Amino acid sequence: MKGVLLSGGTGSRLRPITHTGPKQLVPVANKPVLEYAIEDLKEADITEIGVILGNKGREEIQELLGDGSKYGVDITYIVQGNPLGLAHAAGCARDFVGDDDFVMYLGDNILKSGVTDLVENFEAGDYRAGIALQEVDNPQAFGIADVDEEGNVTELIEKPDEPPTNLALIGMYVFSPAVFNAIDDLEPSWRGELEITDAIQDLLEDDYEIDSHVVTGWWKDTGKPVDILEANRLVLEDKDLNTAGVVEDGAETDGRIELADSAVIEEGAVVRGPVSIAANTTIKSGTYVGPYTSIGANSTLEDIHIENSVVIGDSEITANGRIADSLLGRNANVESADDLLPEGRRLVVGENSQLKL
Amino acid sequence: MRIITHLCPACGTVVAANELENNRVMKCPGLGCQEVLRFEDLPEDAREHFLKNRNRYQT
Repeated sequence: MKGVLLSGGTGSRLRPITHTGPKQLVPVANKPVLEYAIEDLKEADITEIGVILGNKGREEIQELLGDGSKYGVDITYIVQGNPLGLAHAAGCARDFVGDDDFVMYLGDNILKSGVTDLVENFEAGDYRAGIALQEVDNPQAFGIADVDEEGNVTELIEKPDEPPTNLALIGMYVFSPAVFNAIDDLEPSWRGELEITDAIQDLLEDDYEIDSHVVTGWWKDTGKPVDILEANRLVLEDKDLNTAGVVEDGAETDGRIELADSAVIEEGAVVRGPVSIAANTTIKSGTYVGPYTSIGANSTLEDIHIENSVVIGDSEITANGRIADSLLGRNANVESADDLLPEGRRLVVGENSQLKL
Repeated sequence: MRIITHLCPACGTVVAANELENNRVMKCPGLGCQEVLRFEDLPEDAREHFLKNRNRYQT
């Protein structure tokens, strides 16, 4: 079994964060989303991984993942270039996959339970594909699978008006090499892409058995800022958090706190977990860091009250104010304007930024 | 739709035809690989098919 990890896409819904980097490297609980995928594949004993690269952020992704040895996996890069669809991405991986089965994992997705059960279910039968599904409250908004009593997929329907089930496709698949023949026969959809669901539909029409696996834990597509915050909350809720750094006397801490060994919570600061604070970051006096917040490396916080937020890193946040439900990009600084005249906020805001003042 | 790729003979990195055609001549994007890849490395029928259907490989 091999892994094909999709790391292309423009990340347009995550602008301005993705103006300067790929969406798969946005951190959740101070770890790039893509690393969760690598870990899930490794946990499923998949150590040969093809990483699909698009037109954007290739160097950053290669710099992070390298040859995979630091994760105990072997990475081959596959340059898809133009975003021509998930089936095109899979098709580009054909030489890498060879005669093996493979897991296709969307690199901006994160899920609690990993892919081990999906892989084991697939390997237990004589399937040509396996699809991860999750029950949703609004099936009209998703690609939906209909399944028989044995859990075999019988039909895929895109955003049905009258959904036969509430089982949505979440973008995790296992395929046998038979999928490549189905992909060969595809034509671009109305949006100009080769759709992986069309390839699966072709397998169904050829009477191949397709397994379904219903994911019971949480799953997040981290495509939008609100999704990053939600994923951050879910991961911090579940993760073992280790306090290795310095908590000075006179600092007030409560709950689970991940504190890197070079990070400091100074006297007069208040931190309430679950929280993650990365290396070389200092939480100074007068600061409140509330639950479900991740502060990236090389940052300084002073006087600010911040909660349910993600600070990616290299930031100075020293204003006397409150920040909630926010995502701050690398090198973003928030300082006080109290002593400046004329009175008023001073903003240098990039394209596609969103501020609520 | 035909998916056309080229496998770097030195490191195994896979490069799609649209990428090769955009660059014509490029250093292999594989980590540390110094191999030079060319659109002309593709088989003649693959090149002809790509160029004939070039708009389908754009976005």
